[in-house]
Amino acid sequence: MRAAISSEWTKLWTTRTIWWALLAAFTLMAAAAGQNSFYVNNGDVPATSAGDVAVLSVAIAQLAFVALAMLVMTSEYSAGTIRATLSWVPSRGRLLSAKIAVVAAVTLAGGVLAGLLGGVVAAGIVDDASDITGGAVKIGIYLMLLGVLATGLAAALRGPVVTLVVLLMGIVVVPPLLQIPDISVLNGIADTFPGVAGDHFLSGDSNPYPQAVGLLILMGWAVLAVVAGWRVLQRRDA
Amino acid sequence: MAITLQKLTKTYGRTLAVDGLDLEVRPGRVTGFLGPNGAGKSTTMRMVLGLDRPTSGRALVNGRPYADYQWPLREVGAVLEAKAAHPGRTGRNHLLAMARSNAIPAGRVDEVLGMVGLGDAAGKRFGTYSLGMGQRLGLAGALLGDPGVLILDEPVNGLDPDGVRWIRRLLRDLAAEGRTVFVSSHLLTEMQMTASHLVVIAKGRLLADAPMDDLLGGHGSLEDAYYELTESAA
Ligand SMILES: Nc1ncnc2c1ncn2[C@@H]1O[C@H](COP(=O)(O)OP(=O)(O)O)[C@@H](O)[C@H]1O
Ligand SMILES: [Mg+2]
Repeated sequence: MRAAISSEWTKLWTTRTIWWALLAAFTLMAAAAGQNSFYVNNGDVPATSAGDVAVLSVAIAQLAFVALAMLVMTSEYSAGTIRATLSWVPSRGRLLSAKIAVVAAVTLAGGVLAGLLGGVVAAGIVDDASDITGGAVKIGIYLMLLGVLATGLAAALRGPVVTLVVLLMGIVVVPPLLQIPDISVLNGIADTFPGVAGDHFLSGDSNPYPQAVGLLILMGWAVLAVVAGWRVLQRRDA
Repeated sequence: MAITLQKLTKTYGRTLAVDGLDLEVRPGRVTGFLGPNGAGKSTTMRMVLGLDRPTSGRALVNGRPYADYQWPLREVGAVLEAKAAHPGRTGRNHLLAMARSNAIPAGRVDEVLGMVGLGDAAGKRFGTYSLGMGQRLGLAGALLGDPGVLILDEPVNGLDPDGVRWIRRLLRDLAAEGRTVFVSSHLLTEMQMTASHLVVIAKGRLLADAPMDDLLGGHGSLEDAYYELTESAA
């Protein structure tokens, strides 16, 4: 297992994808935090502390993390390297675990850093400079779970386009559509989507469920995606 | 036995790609795997490497399924297709990731790069490689774990005459060291020049498994022997 992780780690850092993704993530985070801070100062946004502003600003930067996580899996199929990779590490479970370990490490660390960056940017603009560390840790955990979800889903679907479409549906497209009519049944369904559950975890509101439940729902989706990906890898020819 | 196939069968939907192959591939010689395009050679090799799941039957390497080995690259080296590396990764980094996956010392990477004559291009990205350089990188990967068994799918496809000569020499040398070399081709003359033992398949079925000299003996040329085999099978 250590060898498989070491190999995936090497692969991650030896193409340009990771650098573009991190550059995009930090740029989007800083820009969104700056913009949101001005909204806060204008009283347009309920957030108050710098940490809250960072949490709000993840909405856009998360796409760079999701894309990075997904590409760790889908690039094996688009570049045609999956057969080579599986001949190095024939155990499908070991390969998927190694990829998830690498993605989780990078999205957690990258997420915390992005959260700190967003918090620092916001602290320079809004009055209340508190909660920066707490916000950054939440962002790191959220992006790590999202990254694991994306990796599992990518293993199940294989194609980058279909994977990204399904992810965006679950995170940013379908929940708002369900919430627009403001009917309680539809709102209840929206609350079970990974994007909304993640929002509840990040924002720390206790309506309709406590923060910890939001975290558990997001974890549930991540586990589901990983199991689906593992089963497809196990069953289908490479 | 280095490679053992037992009633190995694979169907894709309604296509019968490999049809009950029984075969043993021995060490110490180059075994050619000959058959027309679509005969099932690549499918057979993928099943040996645990990439495609047999519909029925088994494929074993040194008595065990490939996927059961913790460090398979130390057991088997394979060249399946020229596009085995990510286009954005350098040849050296590709081999480094490969070495790490099987706990092979990183120093071995430069050794195999030297063996295949790719030292200068190792720092370039795979996407810029010619077909011949890609094949050399594939061979470097196959040799990385110093394996006793080598499996090569159409390794001379698209190579220039120098490259073809080089591979032929390399394969014979590896067999002379006592390794098992199992190499596929749809080119008769290529097989005649490289292999000392020949396995012929068509439509997924075994047609012949014999020393090259025996096949040549009864006929004027390998070509005559081959067409007699494939026509009597059709
Ligand atoms: N992944 C696949 N899906 C469907 N059919 C396949 C697949 N791989 C091979 N085949 C079919 O199986 C047969 C054998 O193919 P292959 O093993 O590639 O032959 P060869 O390598 O001898 O040219 C062909 O009819 C081919 O079309
Ligand atoms: Mg083939």
